[in-house]
Amino acid sequence: MSRRNLVAAIFFAIVAIFLVFGALMMHPFGEFDEEHYPEMDQYIIDNTQNETGADNGVTGVVFDYRGFDTLGEATVLFTAVAGVILLFRRLKK
Amino acid sequence: MLEDTMINIVHIVVPILIVVVSIYAIYLKDLIAAAIAVSAMSLLLSLEFYILQAPDVAIAEVGLGAFLTTAILIIAIRATKKEEEA
Amino acid sequence: MSGMSRIVKTITNVAFPFVMIYGLYIIARGHLIPGGGFQGGVVVASSLAMVLVAYGSIWIVGKVKEKNLSVLESLGAICFIGLGFIGVILILFYSSFEGSFLKNFLIGQDTIPIFNEIGKGISNINTAGIIPLMNFSVGMIVIAGLFVILLVMAYATRIKEGK
Repeated sequence: MSRRNLVAAIFFAIVAIFLVFGALMMHPFGEFDEEHYPEMDQYIIDNTQNETGADNGVTGVVFDYRGFDTLGEATVLFTAVAGVILLFRRLKK
Repeated sequence: MLEDTMINIVHIVVPILIVVVSIYAIYLKDLIAAAIAVSAMSLLLSLEFYILQAPDVAIAEVGLGAFLTTAILIIAIRATKKEEEA
Repeated sequence: MSGMSRIVKTITNVAFPFVMIYGLYIIARGHLIPGGGFQGGVVVASSLAMVLVAYGSIWIVGKVKEKNLSVLESLGAICFIGLGFIGVILILFYSSFEGSFLKNFLIGQDTIPIFNEIGKGISNINTAGIIPLMNFSVGMIVIAGLFVILLVMAYATRIKEGK
């Protein structure tokens, strides 16, 4: 086995150990967990519909509480499109 | 009760199908067939998202993964060769 | 790249309006049902990409120039940032208005009564203040951006595919 394969095998083993332990430590799907329950979640669930007026809580969070996040997302998309247009522009012969 | 059992069965079946379709996408020689396999994988993944009660992510996954990526791959394949070199 | 066969074109003609209307529906009701600007924009861009793959980029470039799509995308970005800055600018005219950047200035304030009338009620299409408008602007960005990426890439590879 060459050195490169050895390094790849060790790295793969480390990543696999982390993934297996992460999957084992995950709490079961759909069950209420008392200690891993942030207070912000409860605040958002209680107050989103009254404060933003949006029936769909996810949109209320994305566009109102985390508006800066959406602005950054739009900026990333805008920059990517500008780069692609610059790359594939029509050259004048 | 029956509903819970059905959803548990679907939770087991859909990830296995995702893995099977991904292996197909690697081993197919015809590149357009491989692109369609990737598209089918995204569709199954969005079904899994929908079962996990995230319809927003499911819609975005269908649009981006199953359609736009396939369109880009088909455009690239038509501009180059159709078969993979062995 | 040139167009595909007659079967593909016929299926596209049938399916295109339904997909497009569904995407616009997701954008317009993004504050009431699951969805929003990004998801609906992706669906609309998918319908446009279907037409692009079926009919070929040369036919599309004859109808739509990518400069116009750039204008649409910039318009969406300007609308988004402008809606953010209106919340700041309103402080200059109404001193008791509690404004900030990206403030939802249509609901939850008593300074300007006519704005409060617009964004009232729940489960109504006319609710949620500026969230539907931001949905529309993000939808414009996403539609124009994703479609112009596909269009430019397809038009750049048309010579290789050839004759």
